[in-house]
Amino acid sequence: MVNLDVNGKQIGLDEDGFMINPEEWTEEVAMALAKTEELEEMSEDHWKVVNYLRNYYTEFGIAPMVRKLCKDTGYDLKKIYELFPSGPAKGACKIAGLPKPTGCV
Amino acid sequence: MKNLKPQDMGKRTEQLVQLGKLMDLPAPYDQPGMEPPLTVPKDAWKEKHCTTLDGYVGIDTLIRPQTKAEEEQVVNSFLSGLAKIFSDDVNRNFLQPLVLSIKYCAKCNTCSEACHIFKASGGQEIYRPIFRSEVLRKIVKKHLTKSGKMLGSLVGADIDINWETIARLGELAYRCNLCRRCAQACPLGLDNGLLAREIRKIFSQEMGIAPKPLHEKGTMLQLKTGSSTGLTKPAFLDMLEFMEDDIFAKTGKKIKIPVDKKGADILLTHNAGEFMTWPDNPAAFAVLFTEAGLDWTLSSDMIGYDNVNYGLWYDDVQARRVAQEQFKVAKQLGVRRIIIGECGHAHKASAVSMDRITVGEDKIPVESFLPLLWEMVNRKVLKLDPQKNNFPVTLHDPCNVVRMMGVVKPQRQILQAICPQFREMTPHGVNNYCCGGGSGFAIMQSMNFPEFRKQVGSRMKFRQILQAFQGSMDPGTPKYICAPCSNCKGAIRDILEFYHTTEKFNIHYGGLVELVVNALVDIEKPFLEFLA
Repeated sequence: MVNLDVNGKQIGLDEDGFMINPEEWTEEVAMALAKTEELEEMSEDHWKVVNYLRNYYTEFGIAPMVRKLCKDTGYDLKKIYELFPSGPAKGACKIAGLPKPTGCV
Repeated sequence: MKNLKPQDMGKRTEQLVQLGKLMDLPAPYDQPGMEPPLTVPKDAWKEKHCTTLDGYVGIDTLIRPQTKAEEEQVVNSFLSGLAKIFSDDVNRNFLQPLVLSIKYCAKCNTCSEACHIFKASGGQEIYRPIFRSEVLRKIVKKHLTKSGKMLGSLVGADIDINWETIARLGELAYRCNLCRRCAQACPLGLDNGLLAREIRKIFSQEMGIAPKPLHEKGTMLQLKTGSSTGLTKPAFLDMLEFMEDDIFAKTGKKIKIPVDKKGADILLTHNAGEFMTWPDNPAAFAVLFTEAGLDWTLSSDMIGYDNVNYGLWYDDVQARRVAQEQFKVAKQLGVRRIIIGECGHAHKASAVSMDRITVGEDKIPVESFLPLLWEMVNRKVLKLDPQKNNFPVTLHDPCNVVRMMGVVKPQRQILQAICPQFREMTPHGVNNYCCGGGSGFAIMQSMNFPEFRKQVGSRMKFRQILQAFQGSMDPGTPKYICAPCSNCKGAIRDILEFYHTTEKFNIHYGGLVELVVNALVDIEKPFLEFLA
């Protein structure tokens, strides 16, 4: 486990950089996580994806299907990869504070 | 280490094996620069885990002890578990093949030649199926036999049993895909795959040590939430609703996916990973089953929507717990039979292994989807146009479907009927090679383990894929690897990404039912997205 320092608060991350306690997520944490993904700035487009993921996760306790993410945000997969070079799961979900995907996915 | 021997597993040295020259890949991957070099483990992993086997860490919960007492505790607990697997009370189901495999090996090495990991590694001694078994045999001899205790090396009990020996052996049990190609090849019928699994069992059942993705985030999460993906009932229902819209958008068909239909003929079960990552697969099943007018249902009951059973890979107790919950769901729905979708190990778990432990009133027949699908194609229940699939297609055989269950013909009959350019891999059917993702490897993502999987575990499969498409590598021609198993798909996706095979050579992957839907006469747009 490693700690991510967010304005003095220590946020626990697993070895792949996903949050261990997703309930600790805040927008500041998201920005700090974005830096670990080498994203210097979070644009409006980034926030739209991150907030969508966050809301879905809060409601259902799991990440949405990628295709649903694309449909509901209006961004195709190519655009998601442009925004989050590590992809929807390893990039976008990580910044939205979702835990690492598990199972045969 | 040169001339590596099983005894060396007990030596307190650094890494026993350093992988170097791996098996050659065919063109165009025979050129330099087509594959990134292997990496070395980080120092932090060396301190914390067991990297002294081959530098890779498969068991992320196996922690290097800090004190002598801790070391001894691990060794003793392994030895106590070892005694248990030889006990009729504890291990009745596996005792006979275990004892036979320990006792009668003639060391002819036919199994090594059959093993894709041994071959792919460039013939590293440590990955011979009998190397692992020989280490176990020596420990058994030394610890559990009178002659071994008294005579030691004279009777083959010449191994030092310390933490390093045990930890390396545990890691080595996770360098085997449990594909059991070696067992099929053994002239004496011995099962070195089973021995690898018995070692995993001791680690899990006795020592409480198993890779997190299999145990904590696998069977434990499944028993808690209903799925190893963490998929909950509300999320599952939300997904189905989305899938119905998606099916309409893609095929123009308005389909209501039946859920929890009491007394249906068929309960169709999927690997929940399909809903999360490959939703076209359960969608295609819904299209075909509806089209054929079958009386079927999915279950939204907790655990009813995920047919995986990771217990099969490492722990008998967990396997039984998960299977019993799954059968309970089918029983409560009152269905006549369970049909397993495109998940290889669910075939083995529900139809081969656990079919035997549920008896009497709890019994519900379990079938593979393949014979049923062939019947639908063969009887022309579905109107199909093979010309819609007129591109090179090859078939990856999931080990659990062919070798473990013996379902070999229907999938090829289907492909021959609907794919004019279908070509087999060499070898195939019961002689297939594992995708490299078997026995949990596809989902073990911690530290450097994926590197081992992609460059060694999946290497033979990648070779087979490239060979099947030789002559059609032109990027202008789309090509399709049909892999009717979620785990295999995950492993194949990862090698295609790793080697940039899709972007460079237009090679795609997916399941079988997607190809069938793609061939439906009455849909306008291609169902397979890479054709769109």
